[in-house]
Amino acid sequence: MIAVLKKLYRFAGEEQKNINKSIFWGFFYAVFHMFQVGAIYFIVLALTAGDRTYHAAWTALLLLIASIAGRAVINRFTQLQQTHAGYFMVANKRIAIGDKLKRIPMGYFNAKSLGEITGISTTVLDVVESNGPVVLVNILSGFINSIVFLLCVFGFDWRIGLLALAGTVLYLLITSAMEKKSARVTPRRQESEAQLVDAVLEQIQGMSVIKSFNLTGKGDRRVREALEYNRKSNLDIERLFTPYMVAQELSLHLFSVLIMGAGIIFGLNGSMTLSDALMTVVISFLVFSQIQSTGSAVSLLRVVGSSIAHADQIDEIPEMDSTGRPVYPKKHDISFDHVDFSYDKRPILKNVNVTIPDRTTTAIIGPSGSGKTTLCSLIARFWDVDSGSIRIGSTDIREYTLESLMDQISMVFQNVYLFADTIENNIRFGKPDATHEQVVAAAKKACCHDFISALADGYDTVIGEGGATLSGGEKQRISIARAILKNAPVIIFDEATANVDPENEDKLQKAMEELMRNKTILMIAHRLKTVQKADQILVLDEGRIVQKGTHEELKDTPGIYRDFLEVRKEAAGWKL
Amino acid sequence: MQEKSPMLRLWELGEQYHGGLIRAVLSASVGVLCGLLPYFAAAQIIIGLIRSEQDTSFYLFWCCLALGGYILRAVLYALALSMSHKATFAILKNIRERILAKLPKLPLGTVMDTPSGQMKQIIVDQVESMERPLAHLLPEMTSNILAPVCILIYLFVLDWRMALLSLVSIPVGMAFMMAVMANYGKQYEGSVKVTQEMNSTIVEYIGGIEVIKAFNQGKNSYAKFSQRVLANASYFYHWMKSCQLPVSISRTLAPTTLITILPAGWIMYLGGSLDIETFITVIILSLGIAGPLLAAMDFVDSLAKVGTIVSEVDSILNSEEQKHGLTPVSFSSEDIRLDHVSFGYHADQEILHDVSLSIPAGTMTAFVGPSGSGKSTIAKLIAGFWDVKKGRITLGGHDLKDIPLRQLYEQTAFVSQDNYLFNESVRDNIRMGKPGADDAQVEAAAKAAGCDSFIRKLENSYDTVVGGGGAHLSGGERQRIAIARAMLKDAPIVILDEATAYIDPENEAVVQKAVAKLVKGKTVIVIAHRLSTITDADRIFVVADGRISASGTHEELLKQSAMYHEMWQAHIGAKDGDAA
Repeated sequence: MIAVLKKLYRFAGEEQKNINKSIFWGFFYAVFHMFQVGAIYFIVLALTAGDRTYHAAWTALLLLIASIAGRAVINRFTQLQQTHAGYFMVANKRIAIGDKLKRIPMGYFNAKSLGEITGISTTVLDVVESNGPVVLVNILSGFINSIVFLLCVFGFDWRIGLLALAGTVLYLLITSAMEKKSARVTPRRQESEAQLVDAVLEQIQGMSVIKSFNLTGKGDRRVREALEYNRKSNLDIERLFTPYMVAQELSLHLFSVLIMGAGIIFGLNGSMTLSDALMTVVISFLVFSQIQSTGSAVSLLRVVGSSIAHADQIDEIPEMDSTGRPVYPKKHDISFDHVDFSYDKRPILKNVNVTIPDRTTTAIIGPSGSGKTTLCSLIARFWDVDSGSIRIGSTDIREYTLESLMDQISMVFQNVYLFADTIENNIRFGKPDATHEQVVAAAKKACCHDFISALADGYDTVIGEGGATLSGGEKQRISIARAILKNAPVIIFDEATANVDPENEDKLQKAMEELMRNKTILMIAHRLKTVQKADQILVLDEGRIVQKGTHEELKDTPGIYRDFLEVRKEAAGWKL
Repeated sequence: MQEKSPMLRLWELGEQYHGGLIRAVLSASVGVLCGLLPYFAAAQIIIGLIRSEQDTSFYLFWCCLALGGYILRAVLYALALSMSHKATFAILKNIRERILAKLPKLPLGTVMDTPSGQMKQIIVDQVESMERPLAHLLPEMTSNILAPVCILIYLFVLDWRMALLSLVSIPVGMAFMMAVMANYGKQYEGSVKVTQEMNSTIVEYIGGIEVIKAFNQGKNSYAKFSQRVLANASYFYHWMKSCQLPVSISRTLAPTTLITILPAGWIMYLGGSLDIETFITVIILSLGIAGPLLAAMDFVDSLAKVGTIVSEVDSILNSEEQKHGLTPVSFSSEDIRLDHVSFGYHADQEILHDVSLSIPAGTMTAFVGPSGSGKSTIAKLIAGFWDVKKGRITLGGHDLKDIPLRQLYEQTAFVSQDNYLFNESVRDNIRMGKPGADDAQVEAAAKAAGCDSFIRKLENSYDTVVGGGGAHLSGGERQRIAIARAMLKDAPIVILDEATAYIDPENEAVVQKAVAKLVKGKTVIVIAHRLSTITDADRIFVVADGRISASGTHEELLKQSAMYHEMWQAHIGAKDGDAA
C-alpha cells in the first residue's frame, strides 16, 4: 500500500507541492474536526457537574460553528489543490507522452502500438485524473485524522489511548495482509480477463466465417467457457477477501467494545470521573470511523496504482538518440555500406551494399518477407542499423538532425493517414506556409483537383467523421499532393496499390509520375512497367541483395527476377 | 418501444438471480438491525453509569450484547456482499451471453461494419465496470438507508423533538449544494465539449504521428496537442474553483447533526423535558445518521453510469434481427433474381435504387463500377448479409427470407480479402468448411488451393496453430487457406468480392490459380476492379450510383456503354504486364 502511495506521489511530479499543501492543511482540518468531540465533552462535563446555566450550550454552539466554518474553508482550499494536482499531473503526463512520441523511432509505430498509446493517453489516464488525488488525499487525511484523534484520546486518558492505538494497528495489519493477498491473485484475474477478451474478439471478428459456414455452436463453446471461467475466477477471488473484510470490521469493533468496557471499569473503580467514563462510551463510537474510511479507499488505490503502472509502460519505449546537425546536401545519392539489421534478434538485412545515384530510380523486388520494406524504412531512420552505415549525399543519416533528414525524404505508403481537417489543410501539411494557389497547383498535379472541386465545400470540405468520405484512391492522391507540395528530393514509395478501381488506378499513376519527376527514388515495385523503366533493379532474397542491374541486364538471366517477370505476366493476363 | 428505466431493465436481466439478490437484501437488513444493538447497549450502560449501578454483571451483559451485535452485523454484511457478488457475476455473465447470442442473429453486415474493438469494449470492459456498483448496490444501499432510518425510529421512540432536530443539518447543507447545481448543466456540457476536443486531438496526434514526423510538423502539432490537454485540465479546475466553497460548506455542514442536537438538547435538559441519559444516548445516535445517508447519495452517481451502460447493452439486444423462414426449402434450380430491390444501410440513405436482374445457375456474372456505386452491396445482399425491405431477392424461386439462414449460407461461399482465421490449427481452420471432413479431404482441399506446400513448411505442418486472425501468415497465405476452406464447403454459388486484388503481389498468381479451381462448375458472381479478369463473363452488369446502367457481354458493353468503354480504356492505360 505504501509502495502504491509512493508511486502515486512520484507520478504527481510538479503537482507534489499542491498535494503537500493539501496534506499540511489536512492537519488543521483534523483539528477542527475534533472540535465536535470537544463540544460533546463540554456538554457531558456540564451535565455531570450539575451546571444549570446556558453557558455550556453557547460553548458547544460556538465550537460547532467554528468546526464547520474552519473545515469548510480548509476543505475549499484542499479540494482545489487536489483538483489541480489531479488534472494537471495527468495533463503533464499526457504532454510528456506527446513529447516522447517525437523521439520514438518511427519503426515502433504500428496500428497496435498506436492504439495502445492512445488508450493510455485517454481512458487509462482518465482513471488517474478522476481518482488519483482523491485517493491519495483521502488515505493520507484519514491517517492524519486518526492520528490527531488518537493524540487527543491519549491526552484524555492514556489507557483508552493505548486501546485505541492497538485497535488501529490491528486493523492496519489485517488491511495490509489483505492487500498482499490481492496482489497474489491479480495474475489470475488478468489471465481470466485476457482469455475472455481473446474469445470475445474471435467470436466477433470471425462472425462472418461462423455464420457463413454455419459454425454457431462450435465457436460458441469457447466463448461460453471463457465467460464461465471469468465468472468463476472473479467469484473465487471475491470470496478470498470475505474473511479479511469480516476480520477488519471485527478488529475495530472488538476494540470499540473493549474501550467501552474500560470506561465502565475505570468509572466504577474511581480512576475516572463519571463524565470521563460517559465520554469514553461516546468515544468508542467515534474513534475508528476515520481509519475505516481510509481502509475503504484502499481498493480504489489499487485501481489507480495499476493505471499508473500501465501508463508508465510508455516510459519503457526506447528513444532514438537525437544528436546531429542540420544537413542539406546538394546531391542526394543514397548509399548502403555493409548494412546489417535485425529485429527481435531475427536478422532482416545482411551485409547490404548498394548505391542509388542522385536523381535516378531504383526498384526493389523480392518475395514477401525478403526485407524490402525494412530496406526502405531504414533510410528514414525508422530504426537504426546494427552495423554499417547509410548515407545521403555522403553524410551518415545519423549525423542529420531528424528534422533535416525528414526534409530530404517523402514517403508514400499504402496506409494513408488524413487528419479530420479540411482537404486544403491536409494538403498544406506538406508545406505549412503554402498559399492557396500552391495547394491547388499541387492538387492538380496529383489529379485530385477535379474530385475536390466536385465536393460541396471544395477545398474546405472536412474529411472524416461528419465530413466527406473519400475512396482509397482519392485519399492516396491527396497524400501524393501533400508530398508534391513538400517537394523533397528523395522519394520512398511502396507501389502495392491495393484495391483501387480502374479509373483511379490510371490517375494514381499520373500523380506518381508528377511526384517522381527529377527525384532520387527508391521504390518497392510490383508493376512490370515501372520495374522496366527503373535505372536500377535490386532483387532481395532473405535479407540479401541477390541480383542487381537493369531490366535488360537481368531479364534473361536465370533467377528470381526472371521468375518474377513470368509470374507477373501470368497474373496480369489472368482471366476468370 | 417503450423506454424502461435502466434499473428495471437490469432487474429483468438478472431474472434468474432474484432469489440471491433478495437474500442479500434480507441478510443486509438483519445485519442493520443487529448493528443497532451496540447503540441500545450503550444507552443502557449510560443509564447504569449515571444511576451509579455497581453490578458488573449488568455491564458485562450489555457489553457482550454490543459485541454480539457488532459481530452479527459484520458477518451478515459480508454474507450479503458475497451473495450479491455471486448474483452480480452471474448477471454480468448472463448479459455477455445474451449479447454474444444476439450477434449471430443480427445481419452479418451489421456485425462486420462495427469495429471489433468497439464491440469488445461493450461486452468486456463496459459490462465489467458495472461490477462494483452492482455488487455493492443492494447491501450498501440497504444498510446506508435502512440504518439511519432505524436509528431515527429509535430516536423518535426516545424523544420525537430530538429526532426532528437531528434532521435539520442535512437539508440545510443540501441547500448549498442545490445552489451549485443550478449551473451544473451548462458547465457539464462545456466539460464534455472540452474533453472531446482533447480526446480527438490526442487520437489525431497519436494516429497521425508518422505523418507528423515525416512532414516535420512535430512542433506545430505538439503545440496544439499540449494546448488542448492543458485547456481540458484548466477547464475542470476553474469549474471546481467557481463552485467549491458552497460544496465545501455543504459537505461539512450536512453531517454535523450536533449543531442542533447539543444546544437544543441542553435547553430542553435545563427545562426538564429531557433527562440526562436520553440526552447522551441521543448524541451517540445522532452521530450515526448523516454519514450513511450522504454515502447513499454518492452512490447515485455511479448508478447513473450503470444506467448508461445498460442502455448501450439494450441497444444491441433490441436491434433488429434477420427474420427468416424455419423450414428448409427444396431447390429445383439455383437461379438468382432481384426484383425491384432498393436498399440502404441506414434508413435515410438509400444505396441501391430499384435494381432488377437475374443470374442463371451455372453462369459467371460480374459487377463492375466505380467505388461506392453499390456493386459490393448487391453481392452482400445475395449472400444474405442483410435482408432487403423493398423489393425481393429469390434463389431458385424462393424468397431469401423464406430460406432458413443456415440453409442460405450453405448455398454460398463468399470469398473476399478479409479472411479471418481462428486461433486453432491450420487443419481445423480448413475443416470449418465441412465439419465432418477427414484429414485426407482437408489436405486435398489445401493442395487444390495451392497451400499444401507452405503449410508443410510451417513448424508443425497442418497442426500449426495460427494466431488470432492468422497473424503469422502473409495475406496471400491466409487467403489461400480461406479458399481451401471454401473448396471443402463446395457450395453451389461462389461470390468473389475483389478476391484477387493485389493483396500480396508476390502471391497473386498462386491465389488466382486457387480461385480458378474454386469456381469450376459453380454459379459465380464476381465484383471486379480489374476488368481484364472478367472479359469472359457470361454477363457483366455496370453499376453506377446504385442503379444498373448497362449489362451484356464484354464485347456488347464496349459498343453500347460509354461508361464501360471509359473504364476499359482507363484500365488498359493502367494495366500492367504488357512487358516489352
